[in-house]
Formats: sequence, C-alpha cells, structure tokens
Amino acid sequence: MVGPITLLATAVVLPAAAAGVLRRLLRTSMVLSLPIGISALLVNLFFFPGGSEVLLRLGPVTATREGLELALQVLARILAISGAITLFYLTTRPAELVVDLERRGVSPRLAFVANASVQTVPAMVDRASAIIAAQRARGLDTEGSIAQRARGLVPIVGPVIMGSIAEVEQRTMALEARGFTRPGRRTLLWHPADSGAERVARWLLVLTVPALLVARSAGWLDLLG
Amino acid sequence: MLVLEAVSYRYAGAERPAIRQVSLTLDKGEVLGVVGPSEAGKTTLCLVASGLAPRAIRGAMDGRVLLDGADTTALPMHEMAARAGICFQHPQTQLSGICGTVFEEIAFGPMNLGLQRDDVVVRTWDALDVLGITALAERDPMQLSGGQMQLVAIGGLLALRPAHLILDEPTAQLDPGGTRLVGECLARLAAGGASILITEQKTDLLERICGRVVVLEKGGIVAAGPTDEVLAAAGLAAMGVAAPSRVRVRRALAGAGFGDGAIMDALH
Amino acid sequence: MIELRLEGLVHVYRDSTVRAVDGVDLQVGPGQRVAIVGQNGSGKTTLVRHLNGLLRPTEGRVLVDGSDAARLHVAQLARRVGLVFQDPDRQIFARSVRAEVEFGARNVGMDRADRNDAVSQALAATGLEGESDTNPYDLGDSRRKLLALASVLAMRTPVLVLDEPTTGQDVRGVEIVGSVIRAAHAEGRTVIAISHDMGFVAETFDRVVIMREGRIVLDGSPAGVFAQRAWSTLEETYLEPPFPSRVGARLGLDSTPTDEALIARLRERASDSVPST
Repeated sequence: MVGPITLLATAVVLPAAAAGVLRRLLRTSMVLSLPIGISALLVNLFFFPGGSEVLLRLGPVTATREGLELALQVLARILAISGAITLFYLTTRPAELVVDLERRGVSPRLAFVANASVQTVPAMVDRASAIIAAQRARGLDTEGSIAQRARGLVPIVGPVIMGSIAEVEQRTMALEARGFTRPGRRTLLWHPADSGAERVARWLLVLTVPALLVARSAGWLDLLG
Repeated sequence: MLVLEAVSYRYAGAERPAIRQVSLTLDKGEVLGVVGPSEAGKTTLCLVASGLAPRAIRGAMDGRVLLDGADTTALPMHEMAARAGICFQHPQTQLSGICGTVFEEIAFGPMNLGLQRDDVVVRTWDALDVLGITALAERDPMQLSGGQMQLVAIGGLLALRPAHLILDEPTAQLDPGGTRLVGECLARLAAGGASILITEQKTDLLERICGRVVVLEKGGIVAAGPTDEVLAAAGLAAMGVAAPSRVRVRRALAGAGFGDGAIMDALH
Repeated sequence: MIELRLEGLVHVYRDSTVRAVDGVDLQVGPGQRVAIVGQNGSGKTTLVRHLNGLLRPTEGRVLVDGSDAARLHVAQLARRVGLVFQDPDRQIFARSVRAEVEFGARNVGMDRADRNDAVSQALAATGLEGESDTNPYDLGDSRRKLLALASVLAMRTPVLVLDEPTTGQDVRGVEIVGSVIRAAHAEGRTVIAISHDMGFVAETFDRVVIMREGRIVLDGSPAGVFAQRAWSTLEETYLEPPFPSRVGARLGLDSTPTDEALIARLRERASDSVPST
C-alpha cells in the first residue's frame, strides 16, 4: 500500500500542486474513480478468501484485516492511475498535444481523434446537463426514488446519443470541406516549446520504469508492500 | 462558374428525392440567393453544389455539378475545397475544435492542403483582414460570440481561396448583433466580387446583397429571376417565403391608400 | 391563473464570477404576453430558467403564484410553468411524434382522457396532426422545433415560456408560433418568450423587456420600447427597431412598431390635416 501512495504523492500530488491544479485534480479524479473505487473496496473487503483476523461480520460476509489491507491497496492504485490521467488532461493543452504528435510523425487524423476524444467529454457533459434540464422542465422526476430515476434514463440517454451522432456528422462534413482528408503531411505553423529541462525530465521518467521493474523483481521494494 | 445541370438527389434510405431536376448557374462575381420553406431542399442543394453530397453523405445523385467546368464527382474532396467553400447554420460544429486561437483556426484549411508556411500565414491574414476581424486573431475561437464564430468559420473558408462560397442560412442561429455583423461582411464580400450562393429565410438580407434569387419548393425550382422581381412577387407568401420588410410594408400602405410618392420614398 | 414575481434576482453560475443575471425585479401578471429581448449572453435564458426552478437564485427570490420557487421541486413547478427549450434535439427521444408529445402530459399526471385530448389539441395547434406516427427524426429542423413546442403545450400549464421559438423557422413556422401564442393568450395563459425577431415581437406581444448584461434596460409596450427616444438604448444593445418604426420615423411619426400602427398613425394625420368646414 505504501508503494502506490508514494507514487501518488510524488508523481501526481506534488506536480499538481506545483502546476496549481491540485484542487481541480482532486475533485475530478475523485468523481472519476469513486464508482470503481467503492466497488473495488467492497469486493476486496468482504470477499477476500482466507483472511484470519475478523474485523466485522455482516450476515453471510465477513471483513478481515487482510481483506482491508488489500482493499486499501487496490484503492490506492486506482487513485494513482486516475490521478495520473487527470493530471495529464488538466496540464496539457489539446492544441499543443495535437501539434506535437503530428510533429513526431503521427498521422493528422489519429492526432485529431486523440484530441477530439479529450474534447468530447466536456461537450458530452454539457449536452447531457442541457438534456436533463429540458426533460425536467417536462416534468421528468430526477429527484425521486431510484425506480423513478431509472425510468428517466431513456429520455436522457436517447438525445445524448442522437445528438452526438448528429454532431459528428456535421463536424465530419466541415472537416472534409476544409481539405482535412487530403493524404500527406500538413503544414505546421509552430510547435510547443520543449526545454532542455523538460527533455531531461521525460527521459528520467522513461528510465525510471525499467529501474523500478528491476528493483521490484530483486525484492528491494518489498518493504513498501 | 458553378453549374447544376438537372440535379436530383435522394438520401440513402429516403423514399423521395430531396431535390428534383434542379438546374442553375452561379456566374463569376455573382451573388445568388436561394429561398424556400424549410424542407424544400435548400440544404441539400448546398451539399450537392459543394460536392459534400454524395461524397460525404450517402445518397444517389442524378445530373451533373460543374465547378469551373470540372465535374465534382471526379474531384477528390480536398481539391473541391479550393473550388467551393461551404458554411453551415451552426457556428460551433464548423470549427475544427482543436485550434487554440482564431489565427490557427483560419489557417487550418491551408495547413491541410500542405501549402508553404509563408503562404499559409499570408492567406490567414488576408482572410482576417477581408472580414475585419484581425483584432480577434489571438482569441480562443470557442470563447467568441455566435456571430464572431460564424465569421471565423467563413474566414476559414476564405483562406482556402475558393472560387465559390456556398452559405447555408449563415445567420439563422445568430442574435441580432451577430446577424448584422455577418450581414455587413457578406455585403462587403459581395461588393468585392465574390461568387456566392446563399440560402436564407431573412429576405431583408438577400434583398441587400443578391443580384438574382431562385425559389425552391418541394425540391424543385418554382421561380427565378432578378431579386427585386422575385421577392416582390405576389405569390411569394404562398410558396412559404416571407417578403422583405420593405415589400410587405409597401404593400400594406398601398392597400390602405397611402401609395403616394412621399410615403413610398420613406421606404428607402 | 398565476402571477410571477422576481425580486432582486441575481445568478452566478458555478465556476464563474460573472453575474449572468444581475439584480432583476420583474412582475408578470396572469395572462400577460411578455417578450424578452437582448443579445446572446445578456441573461435571458438564465432568467427564464428560474421560473420553473431549473436554476436557483444566487440572490433574491422567485415567487410563482406567491410561493417561493426555491422550495418546490422542478417536477411540481412543471405543472405550472411549461418551458420550451431552444434546441429541440436536446429533448426529443420518442419514436413517434405522438409519444413525444404525450411524455410531458403523462409526467404531470393527466388522466388518459385528458391526455389524449391535450395531445391531439397540441398537435393540431402546431400543424403536426398528420404526423402522429412519424418518427421525429424524419421531420425537418423547423417541424422538430414545433414538436418540442407541442410537447409542452400538451402539459396545459397556466404559464408558457418559450426560448427562441422562431429561430430557424420559416414564415409558416413563425405564423404557427404566433397563432399558438394568441390562442394561449385567449385561454388566459401567461406567455413569456425570448426572441430575436423584432417584427414578430412587436406584432405578437403586449410587453417587451429588453436585457443587457444581466439587467433590464427597457420595459414597456412595443410602441414604448421601440419609440424614437429609446433608439439610443436599443443601439447600445445592437438591436434595431422593427422596420415600420423606422419608416414612421422618416415620415415624422413615432411609435409605429407594426404595419397596422403605421397605417393607423397615417390615417390620424390625414384626418387631422383635413380642414374642417
């Protein structure tokens, strides 16, 4: 458990604090990892086979100390992963990402898709909230019981999907009309600054991965668990 | 010159064609208005004229579309882009969405064509200049007003230096300020000799910029001629098109017995 | 019959510091027809979304029929205030036109007989009576917009709020929206509509509220807000008075926002100038 937490602290929380996005990072990655985090916590806590030290008995299931430890470890890992992904999105300007990918020889279309998928999330969230508002205005009860809310899913999910399809269609036409489907390299006007320090940091990160793998298999990290 | 020769278009899965036997010519330096009720086929006409249909939208086309003599179905889409630029109703979905500044957004088309860097820069400044939006160059396109976004979309087309501009209800979704802004720009482009095919419900705008107007109803052309004649025709309302304000008020005044010269002069 | 009252309404969206609505006091009596006009971003949509509780005031109060809207569920308010959104594609989900229109009426708890009656009436009012079984996505943009209007009409709310009902409509669509508003008015319902079409506003509404940067800058009859003394205020909000107003001004007449008003003023002047013998 100490491992993922150390990682979370050094690779996610510290850089996020340095970039001034710590609060947004915490909020976003909490929301992202909450559902999977809770289910992982419950499953590992109550269904860990062969734990000996019983902490809590709830009918047919028991929570053991070993289960709790594993659950916390899984949770820490999920937080480390979701935190790292969120940090990437919060600190990377999509336009810069695309330009840089292209400069490194990635096909413009692939670069566009990579970026569009980043941008689609907030657009989807906006659309979904507008749709929820419109359906509530028509008396859809989203504040009632779970059964009532479940009934409200179709009127919300339907327009979200149809709207996304229509938008993709329109965007595709607009892109085609501007020559985006032309084969071959595009002209690039600029590329993001890439300082020496950034390059060094990037290579250090790349080298850290095999180093950690070696350390792990040699048993030097067992202490951290 | 843009020529449609007896063009019919039926979308994949549709029972009836969206446009039937449409023939029209857009001469160099001409602004041609297309009016008609909704579902008359105006958007389909624009898609066909730009070559997007049938290339990007599935369907069956009859007849021929010629852009400066070249059959559109024989040209790859990126070559069409330099011949005909198309602008749609909704400003947001026309922007690439991946450009951080207006400048890059307008440069997007020329960059796609792989033009020389200097050429891209010159074309982009030219487009900004023609539309009078150089002050927006460094702004984030997604933070602009609807009217400004629509001008950026048009600028993105102009940077491709297309021989023809096809505009599908470019002011329909805009507020009065945006409509005025885009209208003024279109009037400037028209005066500058651009070849424009434009559909609009706002006949007041067409009256100002178009030399000729065609009326589309149920997929077919039902009237065509000089703007003043077509938009002042008595049967226009029956075709589902609003007369320009000037025509409507003149008619109302004349009907009430106020058709004398001094009052009619006040309409201009 | 319901009275709406906004008291010192302020709204600041989350993650924003801008006062989208910045201190609005507005009272709309039962049966009034009110147009709200202004550029995008002037706070019109934010304002009307308070009327059915979709947004809660940051400051101030919204009173619907005397009770504080903040204490009512949106589902409860939906029985009193029907709000039609600008973009129909953000609400249409059903597989048939009729089912789409029935959705709201069912949600507000109408019984079957009332519902059938309300749905048929709403379809007829919007010219969609022949399209009951049509898939909404087979309708063009402007008829989809009328479908969204029909779906709220069928809820038979005493207050009807329309967000840009004429945007993107052709002349027939605009006529239908106008006739729906007149019919609702004749039934004593309150109608509030956001619109960018000054001619339509002058022809269809008794009262025009003009907004700019979250505040009300003009409030009065069409003849009043489009009168020449208000033109400089209109110009500051990038609005133009309707064409008949401009023609009237050139003829030395004021307050002629519609064709009828222009003709009436010309008649008055003609009869004044006839020398009495």
